[in-house]
Amino acid sequence: MIEAEMTYQIENFALDLSISVNSGESLVLFGPSGAGKSTILRAIAGLIEPTSGFISIGGATVFDKNQKIWVPPYKRKIGYLTQQYHLFPHLSVFKNIAYGLSRNSKAASTDLISDLLEKFQLSGLEHRYPWEISGGQQQRVALARALASNPSALLLDEPFASLDSELRRATLNEIRRILEFAKIPVIVVTHEREEAVAIGDEIQVIDSGHTLAKGEPINVLGHPGQERVASLIGVENLIPMNIIDTSTSEGTMTCVPRELDGPRIEVPLGVGYESGYTTIGIRASDIILAYYKIDNSSARNQIQGVVSEINTNSPGYQITLNCSEIPLICNITGTSLSEMDIKVGSSLWAIFKASSCFIVRDHSETLQEITPNGRL
Amino acid sequence: MIRTFTGIKTEGRSSHPLWMPAGITATLLYVLFIGLPVVAILVKAAQQKGLMASLLSDTTIQALQLSIVTSIISIIIVVIIGTPFALLLARKDNLLLKFIDSLVELPIILPPIVAGVAMLMAFGRQGIMGPALSSVGIALPFTTGAVICAQIFVAAPFYIRAAKLGFQSVSTDYEDVSQTLGVSPWQTFWKLTIPLASPSILSGLALAWARAISEFGATIMFAGNLTGKTQTMPLAILTAMESDIGASLGLSVILLFASIVVLIILGFFANKSWRANL
Repeated sequence: MIEAEMTYQIENFALDLSISVNSGESLVLFGPSGAGKSTILRAIAGLIEPTSGFISIGGATVFDKNQKIWVPPYKRKIGYLTQQYHLFPHLSVFKNIAYGLSRNSKAASTDLISDLLEKFQLSGLEHRYPWEISGGQQQRVALARALASNPSALLLDEPFASLDSELRRATLNEIRRILEFAKIPVIVVTHEREEAVAIGDEIQVIDSGHTLAKGEPINVLGHPGQERVASLIGVENLIPMNIIDTSTSEGTMTCVPRELDGPRIEVPLGVGYESGYTTIGIRASDIILAYYKIDNSSARNQIQGVVSEINTNSPGYQITLNCSEIPLICNITGTSLSEMDIKVGSSLWAIFKASSCFIVRDHSETLQEITPNGRL
Repeated sequence: MIRTFTGIKTEGRSSHPLWMPAGITATLLYVLFIGLPVVAILVKAAQQKGLMASLLSDTTIQALQLSIVTSIISIIIVVIIGTPFALLLARKDNLLLKFIDSLVELPIILPPIVAGVAMLMAFGRQGIMGPALSSVGIALPFTTGAVICAQIFVAAPFYIRAAKLGFQSVSTDYEDVSQTLGVSPWQTFWKLTIPLASPSILSGLALAWARAISEFGATIMFAGNLTGKTQTMPLAILTAMESDIGASLGLSVILLFASIVVLIILGFFANKSWRANL
């Protein structure tokens, strides 16, 4: 497993957080660019030295400021995949993968490499040079090279950034497969929600060098507690509201828009939120669009509005519904768009369950609550 | 890649602009100006009776040997000193290094004769370091050592500049990745940095060697013109012009071919950059 607690300070950037990943599990570091995600990977790999703290990999301490322990990167046994892969241009695919293997066991390493070539579907390419193979193949070579020396941890920096969407899917499967056969801790840096959900056993949301939230991806991404987290992971609808009524027996609260005379929305009961201002988050994909109100339905929220915008949002469409001045963004498929014949100006009902809504706390007031175990 | 626009005609514009005749004339003149003397050496050398005898005379053989030996020693020293220096210039960035970096190329611009005077003033008997050197029994001027010093002085910048550019072209990210693969910094340097920088390094080596073997001004000032001791090929050519033009022509032809070989090497490495491929 990997355990780390570190601070890192350079001119106008400060990192201060802790990391923990078990063997055979994957941690997704999620956040905007410049948040410090890559810096964390570089610190674990030993390419930069944190200002303070400690890092241990597979039970061995590789860095401890207090005990003055520093293990150089080439002794850390880390598989580190950079965003641009950095395949060595003067070496063939075979020699790239063999690069880190010791020379005195040539027969064994040849077996290992042909095994890896097969596993990563690279057979037949071993004598090609990096610029002679496709981007997806380059990435697989880089992965094979990182795994060849049998590392005790794998660090992947934006592994999908330079791949097109089709390759992304294939690579996601690839990495899941690796997780299965290599029982090592894996840290993946990404800023794509879909990748985070597909790959992460756990997700840690990082912003400006600090941890904002951490937990299972489905919880963190599905019900982000804080406004900053919600906006980072791209919750489409964040509506400032005023709680006017709470019903303990129903387990719901009723909200109306702040300042505006808009629709009432029922949301799940939030602890410590009996009244006052709050922000409600609703995912665009959790909203059903219909021409008529559904009577006798279990959905607590049915709001009428007028379509003001239709945008493509590959592979589907994103509809902006104006509900008494409140814009509500909803995702629908191309088939629904054409079958329902939705146009700008169409009058529609937005239908969603109370449980699809979640309370988004203010960033500043609840930072401590999210990571109760001390350091952020 | 050179793009040619032949066949594309723009309305109202001739495909043979006015400057074309001037350009062709200038090109021809220049090619003649450079080419004719080169051809002339070859023609005159071929016509020269007893060229081989002149070439095989003790004086020319000694000059040839001296040039080869001194230039090789110079280049070895340049590589040993220049490589770590170039690496430092390529990888570290501070004011002092920037200042030193700007001085590296001074010997390229400085007239070689001035370099010779400068070295005399530093290491000559009357020079700043003269008394100190003679107290430990070293007298540099007018020795083979002085020939090597002069060659290093003028040739090193060509190597250092090229090696620095070569090292700069190797992103430190590659070296980082190499280290995470379990390869120590020292091995990384040999397995990765040197091979990736080698096209640039080798072209710098070729240029520096060409400069060293053709060194004249600084050598004659600092090392003198002593047969078998400090008389390298360029100096022997000058000396022989007065007595044995055959030897002069023969040595010139040898240096001419050496230059062509260097040109070919440079052309080969110019097309072989790893960075261009990925």
